[in-house]
Amino acid sequence: MTHTDTQAESAEARFAGVFQNLGSIVRYAAARGSSDPEGIAAEVMTIAWRRLPSLPADDPRPWLFVTARNLLMAERRRTGRQAPFDEQHAETPAPEAESGDPAVTAALMQLRPADRDALLLVSWDDLTPAQAARVAGISPVAFRVRLYRARRRFEQALSAQLAGTNGSHTVEMEST
Amino acid sequence: MSRTMDRLFRARPDVTDAIDRDALFARIVATPQDQEQPQLSRSGRRRLLIGCIALAALCLTAGTAFAVTGFNLFGWHTDTTIVKSPREWQRLYYDATRQLTLPPGEHWPDRTLPPNTVTSRTQPGGEAVAIARTAWECYWVDAIHHADAAAGRQASAALDDLLAHHVVVAPPGSPENVAPPAGTQPPFAIFASDGGIQYIRKMYRDAADGHPATLIQSCRANGPVGTR
Repeated sequence: MTHTDTQAESAEARFAGVFQNLGSIVRYAAARGSSDPEGIAAEVMTIAWRRLPSLPADDPRPWLFVTARNLLMAERRRTGRQAPFDEQHAETPAPEAESGDPAVTAALMQLRPADRDALLLVSWDDLTPAQAARVAGISPVAFRVRLYRARRRFEQALSAQLAGTNGSHTVEMEST
Repeated sequence: MSRTMDRLFRARPDVTDAIDRDALFARIVATPQDQEQPQLSRSGRRRLLIGCIALAALCLTAGTAFAVTGFNLFGWHTDTTIVKSPREWQRLYYDATRQLTLPPGEHWPDRTLPPNTVTSRTQPGGEAVAIARTAWECYWVDAIHHADAAAGRQASAALDDLLAHHVVVAPPGSPENVAPPAGTQPPFAIFASDGGIQYIRKMYRDAADGHPATLIQSCRANGPVGTR
């Protein structure tokens, strides 16, 4: 076995560890409204393999999520360019958080993108606050502050959503 | 976990993918990897940035110190000591005259520090050098007029020695009270870096080559009134 063969096997072994995050990246892209989450995840892994020596050796997850986010933004830009004029200027925000709970989705969409991102990285993507801070590009302390505020705003937004939903339901009940 | 956060967690979309992981893995590792060197980590970049900022601050500080307080370039520095006593001035001048030679028949003029005047410690020696230079130039002019080749050679050699051992050229941009590196043997005249020393050297070369017009002019301008 040559030295080059050994190196290749070592790289493949390391990449196998990175590759285990494929499902997380698919979920991340899908939850952010990607039209092709599997394609995004495959692209992330291809880039990770190509640039394996540059990946943080201790924890590649934040790097993978940042790459996925960049690819998602590129996808949105492409979609925006290809969309008809009316759709480009529609006031409906981009579907950046699609959940199975309409009230939760609506509450999330009321948050600032940075707050929403902080909340979802921790609650949906199973990142620790320290990992999520690296994805957000801020210090762990700043991230914890952002997360705390995002939680409070989300709770307020969800409460308002539920109150509104119950209210409209009540009106419907009364009108029938 | 609060009920709200629990609800958020439960609302996580359930995504199933149909990716053939083995095939994708095999396809990816079959592609070549980048050959580039690993980039600096974020902390490495931060350290590099801090280093650059520190270096810039150091340069700025050193530059300010150079400009304001006493620059030091290859040992050149600002001389803050002054001479204000005529007696001290005359002692320095006398010491300088003992290190220099005048042409035959010449003697050192009496000089002193004018009243209410201060100057640097190198100035008396510089003045002695200037007196010797003018005296030798005029001696050379006399030799030319009298076709005394030996006297001319003697003057030329004396002037070359003066330029070689008793003239220093300050670095460009030096302040007025500049002083040469410690250890420079006095007496010396300090020339600005403005081409003056090159002009004088050319004047002596021309005179030695039989073209003394500039030398004669210099003697007439700087020598005693009525000479030549």
